[in-house]
Amino acid sequence: MSGDRRDQDVIVVGGGVIGAAIAYGLTRRGVRTLVLDESDRAFRAARGNFGLVWVQGKGVSNIQYAAWTRRSADLWAEFNDEIKERTRIDTRYLRSGGLHLCLDEEELASRSLLMANMAEASEGVFSYEMLDHDELAHRLPGVGPSVAGASFSAQDGHVDPLSLLHALHTAFKSTGGMLISAPVTKLCYEKGGFEAKTGKGSFYSGKIVLAAGLGSRALAPQLGLNVPVRPERGQILVTERLKPFLDYPTIFIRQTEAGSVLLGDSHEEVGFDDGTDIKVMSAIANRARLIFPRLERTRILRAWGALRILTPDGLPVYQQSRECPGAFTATGHSGVTLAAAHTLDFARFVADGEMPAALDSLGEDRFHVH
Amino acid sequence: MTKHYDIIVIGAGPAGMSASRTAAAQGARVLVLDEQSSPGGQIYRAIEKPHNQRRRELGSSYQDGVPLVHGFRQSELDYVNAASVWQLSADLEVGYSRDGIAQLVRADRIIVATGAQERPVPIPGWTKRGVMTVGAAQILLKESSVVASDAVFAGSGPLLYLAVHQYLELGVPVKAVLDLTPAKNYLGALPALFGARADFAKILEGWQWKRAIGAAGIPLLTGVDAVRISGEKSVESVDYRRRGEWQAITCDTAFLHLGVVPNINISMAAGCDCHWSHNQACWTVTVDDWFNSSVAGVSVAGDGVSIGGAAAAEAQGGIAALGALHALGRIDASERDRLAAAYRIRLRKEMGIRHFLDLLFRPADRLRVPREADTVVCRCEEVTAGQIRETLDLGCCGPNQLKSFSRTGMGPCQGRFCGHTVSELIGEASGLPISEVGYFRLRSPIKPLPLKELADLAHSSKE
Repeated sequence: MSGDRRDQDVIVVGGGVIGAAIAYGLTRRGVRTLVLDESDRAFRAARGNFGLVWVQGKGVSNIQYAAWTRRSADLWAEFNDEIKERTRIDTRYLRSGGLHLCLDEEELASRSLLMANMAEASEGVFSYEMLDHDELAHRLPGVGPSVAGASFSAQDGHVDPLSLLHALHTAFKSTGGMLISAPVTKLCYEKGGFEAKTGKGSFYSGKIVLAAGLGSRALAPQLGLNVPVRPERGQILVTERLKPFLDYPTIFIRQTEAGSVLLGDSHEEVGFDDGTDIKVMSAIANRARLIFPRLERTRILRAWGALRILTPDGLPVYQQSRECPGAFTATGHSGVTLAAAHTLDFARFVADGEMPAALDSLGEDRFHVH
Repeated sequence: MTKHYDIIVIGAGPAGMSASRTAAAQGARVLVLDEQSSPGGQIYRAIEKPHNQRRRELGSSYQDGVPLVHGFRQSELDYVNAASVWQLSADLEVGYSRDGIAQLVRADRIIVATGAQERPVPIPGWTKRGVMTVGAAQILLKESSVVASDAVFAGSGPLLYLAVHQYLELGVPVKAVLDLTPAKNYLGALPALFGARADFAKILEGWQWKRAIGAAGIPLLTGVDAVRISGEKSVESVDYRRRGEWQAITCDTAFLHLGVVPNINISMAAGCDCHWSHNQACWTVTVDDWFNSSVAGVSVAGDGVSIGGAAAAEAQGGIAALGALHALGRIDASERDRLAAAYRIRLRKEMGIRHFLDLLFRPADRLRVPREADTVVCRCEEVTAGQIRETLDLGCCGPNQLKSFSRTGMGPCQGRFCGHTVSELIGEASGLPISEVGYFRLRSPIKPLPLKELADLAHSSKE
């Protein structure tokens, strides 16, 4: 056991969708990696995810983030093929194109402006279409009369986020990775190496990646990092299985391949409460029946709340510690969309020990008060 | 405006009826929500139907329910039948549906009396057509007088023999009875029989049922230690192993029964602490002497806490109601204790035999936790024991991660059929005590809820 404990190249703190993607990215490059994961009842955004692999609307205020998102979305097919081949787990990934529905004309107008700005900032790489109600109804038969229209981007897609998490863990293990369920109590840096203290003893490595979601905030200062994240609750309802009727994912409603329909999404500032709330659930259900009147006749089987991991500007934070070189963090929202880039790119940055200039603006310096 | 009561009782079985009667007798405003069409719970199901009241075949204990239901009907309280409770929140808001309308109600105290459910019997082939639980056989008999001829009964525990005996009295042919009680349990339970001033009348009744079954010429095979259902899609035979040899009995219907376990979904969803009972091999709700759970204002009584049977449940319901009335300031401590004294004597007597029954009828490990890789554990999502063990091998940290990875427990039954097996499978793989392994995290709605009803709660559909 002591041999296992001392011989890791990298420790990844966090077994969520970000931690697992990076950890697998490391083991597939031959880097010996240990994941320290929290307990079964931990706050797990990865288990509450809606499953969008989403480009439109991402990075309106930050072109590096927009480019990073597009890169990941473009890598997704190749990434998905690889994990499917390795694990035989089908994540149901489909780059179907996706819709952002607008419930009134005003929303549709401002959406149109936003999309135009995004396309311009991307120098034409981001493509989209605006659809009015009739055009939308053509693509989404049965859409309610009160939906004004939508923006559509062929660059969007969706995936079963739970199968993705399962596949990443399976791929990690099959490439020699080790996972221990033991919440980290303290992280220490001593020249050239790191110690992670847990209830199951200490573990040592040459490098460390902090991908602990909301837990990153408290652990970051121990590595000379700053990860000012806060929770934002989202609730999701899931219906019984219905015959396929929805060919495209939308930000509020998505039908899975098995037929269940996921209904989201709420944005609530309720601290560390990942429960459900009947008023919010009722509002989600009401919006769902406005969008698709046919849903009124279905039954809700389950509901859950989960906590998004948000920085002050909502974008993820990627940083190598200046104080403790070899310590990295990758923390934030959108871990599903970014999974391909985390496995194929970010793991390489960690292995090489260097962050690229293309992610400069997503570092922690942006949180300093000037 | 949300209606507000002093006490809401969830369930109108022995514990719920007793609790609500006791509370109403002290002038509390009581609402009783029950999912059946008439009061009685599982044990006294449909007892108000005239044809059932005359039926001696249903057994003497069934008739014990008559005065209880009568007293319940005489009480001044709001009783809502056919109500599906899909939420109990930690701040004491109850959500339920009836006649296509969802409603929210509140109370200062909640008494959960959701009773027991049958323990799942995850043996090879248990999901085939024609396999039912003994409890389902009882519902068909009591509600609709429907019976199945030439069935094989396999299992363990008093309800198994009661059900076979009822069939016998009704003249319905039974193909065979396979007793799955582990032989070693008889020896293990013996000290409890003498040590606990056990209720010999009950044990005698059970023995008489057994004798009557034998006298009627129905093959009754004890010492069966493994069983499986064979057939293409529906039951063609029940195969069993006895003294190391496999035999088959052809039949169209198999009734399985391995006792009952507390129905904990509502309590768990409200956040009540639960722990694993080794003797009963099930999750039980952690309560104090007055049946208060860990959630302030929520009491849990009857078989929904831990299995004690109808008479114990009736006593517990009374005690829980008195505790709640005292907490509401309606009775003082001495009045509470005085009124509770008779219930406590009754409860002590009932619990005497319970320890003996727990030890005697504790199902064998292999019947609770399938050894065969292809035996289905989660019926809704068709996940097998082998798939679960494989997923756990990834270093999966508990039931909720397992649920995410394998969809086990994600279906409409919300884990009612697989939750216990899953906790035990994880305990087996990790070596952790089951109480530490934990259970699925349950959240409202704990029962399927029509989207229209949910949307209408906060938004009138006419808007």
